[in-house]
Amino acid sequence: MAVTKDKSISAALATASCALLGTGVTTAVDAQEVPKWDFNTSLLYYGEDESRVQDLSLRAIVRRLFVDDRSLTVSLTVDSLTGATPSGAIRQDVPQTFTRPSGNAAYVVPAGVLPLDDTFLDTRVALTGNWQQPIGETSQVNFGFSASNEYDYFHLGLNGRFSKDFNQRNTTLSAGISIAQDEFDPEGGAPIPFTSMLDIGDTSNRPQSQRDKDVLDVILGVTQVVSRKLVLQANYSYASESGYLNNPYKVLSIVDGTTGDTIQRVAPGPLSGPSHEFVFEGRPDDRAKHSLYTQAKYYMDGKVLDASYRYMTDDWDIDSHTLDVRYRWPLSDDKYLEPHLRWYSQSEANFYRLSLVDGAPLPAFASSDYRLGKFDAITAGLKFGWKNRNDNDMSLRIEWYQQMGSIPAGQLIGKQSLRDNYPDLNALIVQFSYRFSK
Amino acid sequence: MKNGLLLLVLVAMSACSSMGVEPWERDILAKDEMQLTTDAAEAATDDHIYFSKEASSGGRAFGGGGCGCN
Repeated sequence: MAVTKDKSISAALATASCALLGTGVTTAVDAQEVPKWDFNTSLLYYGEDESRVQDLSLRAIVRRLFVDDRSLTVSLTVDSLTGATPSGAIRQDVPQTFTRPSGNAAYVVPAGVLPLDDTFLDTRVALTGNWQQPIGETSQVNFGFSASNEYDYFHLGLNGRFSKDFNQRNTTLSAGISIAQDEFDPEGGAPIPFTSMLDIGDTSNRPQSQRDKDVLDVILGVTQVVSRKLVLQANYSYASESGYLNNPYKVLSIVDGTTGDTIQRVAPGPLSGPSHEFVFEGRPDDRAKHSLYTQAKYYMDGKVLDASYRYMTDDWDIDSHTLDVRYRWPLSDDKYLEPHLRWYSQSEANFYRLSLVDGAPLPAFASSDYRLGKFDAITAGLKFGWKNRNDNDMSLRIEWYQQMGSIPAGQLIGKQSLRDNYPDLNALIVQFSYRFSK
Repeated sequence: MKNGLLLLVLVAMSACSSMGVEPWERDILAKDEMQLTTDAAEAATDDHIYFSKEASSGGRAFGGGGCGCN
């Protein structure tokens, strides 16, 4: 209140002075309304081993600050993706031939090698915009949109968030909602679940190309300042997805119930179609997720500990735990080191299957996507941050991500137990960030 | 059950009201490194990487969307 009074007094004085001098008041007003821009840019390299996914990503977040704590934030991200991703089929002791997702060609995977589809090449462009402003003395509102476009995928979302401060701004309660509609237009069309991978040129099991997905997110949060050095946050979030939740490029191997080997088939000619029986996966068309996220930031004599934990559970029976710890350690006034450790663990979806047995009744849903399996993951990294001559922030972080999966007991048949069905995923993450204000 | 939950919320709120700092004690909390999200670009990057590689996502904020199929 005192500030407002001071402002009005100074404005009145400025007006009076200007009136005496015979000039306008624009200078005084302009001085108060100096716009400020914040730029947060980054270049990321993400690369998986064994020639799997490689991503080069450029991101720019621009924030325009206005008077009275209003701000507009716009972010643009461009991802360039290449590499190979597991097709979902299992290794064999003989070479395997697969029809490419386009349906126009085939590729061969050597004996003993995990089948990867190496054809994808994608550019993702994502744009978000967000307007934030206070309402009265203690509340704040936030509206935004997100849009992203890939070769076969389009996302459009709207979101809003309201927060209110209590207890001298030491407690903040917030509630937000986000809705999104995504369109999937898979290469070669969306296959009917559990139909076979067909010969080149046969698209009879892909009657419909474009499929939709709706996503609703709700988030409720509380932030609490505990002391001069400790702040805590807790969020509950609910997400509901409905529509097309399949991955149209993933298949499952149809195997012999005794040997565990994939059933062979005869293609019309060499490289004209699959050498074995593979069927496209099928997932439920809805999913509900609940998450509890907690975070603590603690200041210790210049060093800052940032620790968070998230528990997630969903109606696909996936439970996950994520523990994330960062420790910012200043080396001098303008340099710091920040080690980072993240541990993640998830259980498998109730329809996760390594393979399907030939002749057995088909389950309602099945997927061998490694992301729906049971695995633990570790991220270990180090960030070095410094200020350049113009007092702008720069940082470089290098991180290593590893996923270690396991097949649930009872799913390994015959010779499958002799093969590595869930190889570790290793990825290198290198990110350079540059932040400056104008 | 309902009354118990209400009581819990009230107790939590009253406990919260005794925590915190005076407005002039926010020197440390105002530092960049004490913000809950210190680096928005890094946070958005991590969210998208893990959204694409794991079955969980979100918790901290709304995601930016995408297929995450590869």
